Amino acid sequence: MIHSKNVVLTTLVAALFVIFPFMVRSEYLLNLLVMFFLYVTLAESWNLLGGFAGQISLGHSAFFGIGALITRLLWVGKIPISLALFGGGVAAALLAGIVGIPCLRMRSAYFPIGTLALSMIAQITVGNIFPLAGSLSSEYIVGYSLSSRYYLALLVAVLTVLVVYQVVNSRKGLALVAIRDDEGAAEAMGVKTFRYKILALLISSFLTGLGGGIFAYHQVSYYYYTTFELSWSFLPTLTTFIGGLGTILGPIIGSMCFLALSEIFAISLGEIHILIFGFTFILIVLFLPGGLMSVTQWTYKFSFKAFKRRYF
Amino acid sequence: MGQTLVYGILNGALYGIIALGIALVFGVMRYLNLAHGSFIILGAYGSLFLFHLGIDPFASIPLISILLFLAGAVLFKASFSRLTILPEGNKIKNSLLISFGLMLLIDNLATLIWTGDERSITPSYSGFTFGLFGLRLPLIGLMGVLLALVLISILHLFLTRTYFGKSVTAVSQDHEAASLMGININQTFLISFAISLTLASIPSVLIGLKAFSPTAGIQWFNKGIIVVMLSGIGNIYGVFPAGLFLGIMEAISVFLFGAPYREVTGLAVFILIMILFPKGLFGKRIEA
Amino acid sequence: MLKVEHIDVHYGDLQVLWDVSLEVKDGEIVALIGSNGAGKTTLIRTIAGLHKPSSGNISYNGILLNNQSPHKIVALGISMVPEGRRLFPKMTVLGNLEMGAFHKEARPEKDKTLHWVYEIFPALRERSQQSAGSLSGGEQQMLAIGRALMAKNRFLLLDEMSLGLSPLLVKNIFEIVVQINKAGISIFIVEQNVPMTLKVADRAYILESGHIVGQGMAKALLKTAHIREAYLGINPV
Repeated sequence: MIHSKNVVLTTLVAALFVIFPFMVRSEYLLNLLVMFFLYVTLAESWNLLGGFAGQISLGHSAFFGIGALITRLLWVGKIPISLALFGGGVAAALLAGIVGIPCLRMRSAYFPIGTLALSMIAQITVGNIFPLAGSLSSEYIVGYSLSSRYYLALLVAVLTVLVVYQVVNSRKGLALVAIRDDEGAAEAMGVKTFRYKILALLISSFLTGLGGGIFAYHQVSYYYYTTFELSWSFLPTLTTFIGGLGTILGPIIGSMCFLALSEIFAISLGEIHILIFGFTFILIVLFLPGGLMSVTQWTYKFSFKAFKRRYF
Repeated sequence: MGQTLVYGILNGALYGIIALGIALVFGVMRYLNLAHGSFIILGAYGSLFLFHLGIDPFASIPLISILLFLAGAVLFKASFSRLTILPEGNKIKNSLLISFGLMLLIDNLATLIWTGDERSITPSYSGFTFGLFGLRLPLIGLMGVLLALVLISILHLFLTRTYFGKSVTAVSQDHEAASLMGININQTFLISFAISLTLASIPSVLIGLKAFSPTAGIQWFNKGIIVVMLSGIGNIYGVFPAGLFLGIMEAISVFLFGAPYREVTGLAVFILIMILFPKGLFGKRIEA
Repeated sequence: MLKVEHIDVHYGDLQVLWDVSLEVKDGEIVALIGSNGAGKTTLIRTIAGLHKPSSGNISYNGILLNNQSPHKIVALGISMVPEGRRLFPKMTVLGNLEMGAFHKEARPEKDKTLHWVYEIFPALRERSQQSAGSLSGGEQQMLAIGRALMAKNRFLLLDEMSLGLSPLLVKNIFEIVVQINKAGISIFIVEQNVPMTLKVADRAYILESGHIVGQGMAKALLKTAHIREAYLGINPV
């Protein structure tokens, strides 16, 4: 079910982003938007597993990291970027399959811890194997085009949103939500919960891997282990919760807020945006589990009801 | 080899006492406190601060205990206490999330206040070691093990000899039935949480004497949770031995493969044990 | 006296009790009978404070119980033996009994009360160091009741005591209930075992699908056609 209103709106927004580089020449803004697309990709893909399937993963940094690593290695090894990206995504999905499936086997309440532990393993292992920074050789630097990064990032972000939207609105999506709300009941109804959880995990990790690949493509030089840092796990959790768990727009809004806050405060107080987000996060978990999206839903309900009352 | 074993045991004791705090909270109220490590780091900063005032780190333990107790009580009241009404599965998930938020808060507040630099408390006896049977036994490590054992004994006496302690045990076995006995569960949860943070005062000082930075908390939590799962959820007394086990395993791996792979091996052992003994080394059923 | 006045109880959005009223005067044994799923356990748990009524009032000796936590209700004078006994499995018999005397007023008298409980249930004295989880079904039920008695309250709620017990044990337990009542303790008992319950109770209420559909003196109810059909399986000729 694709609502025509949504399609129009989305195409408009996408179109805006497409023509943006032609209207605005600021490199700073373009880099910022690349980060935004990255955050959206990460959050949206995480949300498929966390918000819709109800499996909160604290280990997505491992998928992000390996996507970045493989993409980088492939691309620097002369493989065209689109294939390298795909490779990164596949690597992430493979990792998810090997590592994530045993985690899913645990009682669902322990899944977050299992993924957390595994992402820490990944971080330390990669830190040991690749302690040095990877830099691009001069030919890559000379040919570095920000706009190609921009469009690729945009493409991946749009792809992620579309894929998640499709899955969520399909029968699979219904199964996932059923599992999230009451796994026992879903099982009793004949839903093969384990299979669906794996599906969500694989799709989610693949898309996150793509995001990692974008990061690797975008950075000129960076320490390979930084993409495995836990902060990349926390980011999607934080932004999705605040934006609205289990909604399509939620991760996007959350990412926007996060980026905005971090830019506003970066010059003055450094890490304070995380502080604010952390605090808001706790408030949301306690009092507003639906995140910011639920607020807009109330106002929508409010205004629509008021409208009805007045004119009908 | 003997020397590495010594270090393994000393580290293991540290892991064990960290894990005990985590296990206590989980056993009593089925909450997972991701921020336990961050509280430890907070205590370390506290101890550092007191050290600059001239107070020896080991002497600061009682003060840090009180501080952490209060911090725990306040934060629990403000956040976790609202979770008590939720059903079992949601409780674990939401407690993780809230403690996750707390961890971010504490870590970043610490970074803001004290900067991201690594610190360490360096009293005059820092490097002091005893010689025994040709092995070098670091004073600080030994003190740590001793204090850990003392603390565990006190905890044991508390849980088995005092009425309140026994009520904590009752609550951990069936909190609804406990409430029917006239036990105030919310208060019990609050105090148990605060006690678990008091247990964190020893790791605080020990880690303070090693090296710490504002975001190091999660790594220590990680060690703790691995030990808890190794020992088997629902078992407080197996936690300390499980910690020693991890410490010794790590030490052996350092001996065989060298230092860089110490962390990895520890975690690999964890995964192996989880696959072979899903209930942990000493555990019974994993309670939902 | 316990008064339940026009309470509704919901589980989330699902309503399970409608406009339930009943009372238990001091010294009475009052029973609540009804088939499975009628809401009996919900009702007794609400009285104990484990659920909150969405409307209506529950009061004991004039004090409102509605929004009190279970532990406060214990302090106000009402003890409950929960369905399924809910003993502390890893504690000993003695440990469980001691927990029963946790609240402030019961603690100083603990030893005296223990003595009394052991008189009622001699088997518990023999097994005092055994872990509660290792007891037989009948012994566990006795321990559960004994534990509730340790609180020295004058009002006892009994939820499905006879579940899982052999007929002989059931008879035993009901005799003990009468004994406890004679010692001055009011009892509200929720039960599926209708014949035994009505023999022992003074009055009874009938709960069906969340509504009170009848009440009366227990002996009289035993004789009514409705009860005989619905709960005793006796077909009218």
